[in-house]
Amino acid sequence: MADLAISTEQLTKRYGRRRGLAGLDLGVQTGEVYGFLGPNGAGKTTTIRILLDLIRPTSGAITVLGGEPRRLGVALRRRIGYLPGDFTVDGRQSADELLTYLGNLRGGVPRARIQALAARLDLDLRARIRSLSKGNRQKVGLLQAFMHEPELLVLDEPTSGLDPLLQQTFVAMVREARGAGQTVFMSSHVMSEVQQTADRVGIVREGRLVAVERVEELRERAVRRVEIHFAEPVPPSEFAALPGVTDVAVTDHTLHCRLSGRADALVKAAARHTVVSLLSEEPDLEELFFTYYRGTDYRGTDYRGTDDAAR
Amino acid sequence: MMLLADPFTKALRDARRGLLGWAVGVGAVALMYAAFYPSISKPAFAQALENYPESLKRAFNLQDITSPAGYLGSYVFGLLVPVLLVVFTVITGSRAIAGDEESGVLDLILAHPVSRTRLLLSRLGALAVEVVLICAVVYLLLVAIAGPAKLASIGAGHLAAASAQLALFGLVFATLATAVGAATGKRAAAVAVTAVVAVAGYFANNLAPQVAGLHWAQKLSPFYWYTAGQPLRHGLQLGWCALLLGVSALLTAAAVTALARRDLAT
Repeated sequence: MADLAISTEQLTKRYGRRRGLAGLDLGVQTGEVYGFLGPNGAGKTTTIRILLDLIRPTSGAITVLGGEPRRLGVALRRRIGYLPGDFTVDGRQSADELLTYLGNLRGGVPRARIQALAARLDLDLRARIRSLSKGNRQKVGLLQAFMHEPELLVLDEPTSGLDPLLQQTFVAMVREARGAGQTVFMSSHVMSEVQQTADRVGIVREGRLVAVERVEELRERAVRRVEIHFAEPVPPSEFAALPGVTDVAVTDHTLHCRLSGRADALVKAAARHTVVSLLSEEPDLEELFFTYYRGTDYRGTDYRGTDDAAR
Repeated sequence: MMLLADPFTKALRDARRGLLGWAVGVGAVALMYAAFYPSISKPAFAQALENYPESLKRAFNLQDITSPAGYLGSYVFGLLVPVLLVVFTVITGSRAIAGDEESGVLDLILAHPVSRTRLLLSRLGALAVEVVLICAVVYLLLVAIAGPAKLASIGAGHLAAASAQLALFGLVFATLATAVGAATGKRAAAVAVTAVVAVAGYFANNLAPQVAGLHWAQKLSPFYWYTAGQPLRHGLQLGWCALLLGVSALLTAAAVTALARRDLAT
């Protein structure tokens, strides 16, 4: 248990008759980046709010950094950085005032640290929060979660509202945090947001954890769309039988196919002709996930993008 | 930046502008009505008042409005200033927990190493300071105008006693509004309950004694606890002060217990 930053056992939460969590078993290892994935309403935010002791479970057990949130709330939260899914603060204050105050609640955060993070996120600390755009507000939220270099970062939909450039900054910040031994637990409803950083991904659905996968393994199993442009027309039959290659189609000089596993056989077969260009898409792990879990305990019928993935 | 040190000073800092407005506003009302006393103390006015029905005079605290203590006790300390103070505490007390919870601001603070009890006591503490400041402004303005307004016979000490009891009266409503908000998480509930208690309390104090079988209701009114000892005439009434303080302490304890137990709204 000692190497688990977060662990839950049959964690259940009911809001009156409404389900929040229905027996969640979660294990987040110390030092890993864990992507907590699921559709809206699956129980992601409920889980996060329980581990911060903002709400209490109906039944089941939860341990965070070796303690129970209910009993050790203040001591545990000192070691946690939290970005709420909906980062709301009093808009009348400046970002600087807010961050100083929040830093003080944590016993003080060096000004230089706040300023360095602000520079990195390209955030104007003097601006009143009310006057900031949604993306800039999200930067303030990220900054307050990261600024005290907590052991555990709990991020609820961290990249919502960030532009692509900032998403890259965020990815770098998460990687550095992991490099420094910090644990990151972040929720999202899209795989693409977490697959760049997460070591493991857990899928929550209807209040239960239905699957946990290492992203690396997913990636190895992943199906890529490959497109090869040749100098002259090529016969599809040369490629159709290659290991890992499916859905071969040749139009004019161009070969389209799907490739799973190693690219070796395909590359060697292609090398018999003159290759003009080669395009291999980053695998869609989300798609893989659903292909993989379709027909097992995962029934992703109303999940984003599932209909396409199932075909 | 010193005021950003902890939840208590932060609450005071956030309140500063609103507080200034309220202190000036309530103070101005007290000052205006006090300044009006010389024209009311004329015999003609007392005679005109003779013709008012007794029940009406009781309802609006007008039994003895020609003496300085009677006038100030009826108008300034009996009606206008406490009512304004109640409005202030309803607004600020309902905001202290429930308002911030509804707007989603509370989540972030309580995800920090701050216990719910500490946050609640900090905000209630700041609210108490605000109430005391408003009453202090009322007191200082009344002391300043006492001479010119021919109210000097009351004396600064008795004015201070009435102001202190006014502050304790305000504290009861501040803790009530905060407690209902802390227990329910709903600002509307905090406003409604506190307003009903204030209105019912006012009428229980001023009308119930005239209704057969309802005399007991007066004893339950915070307005009665605050005015019955007539601090403008007799100085600070420690027993009544203890009651007002005790009720505030009970409400605070209830607020702490209720808030610690429940789920925070999203």
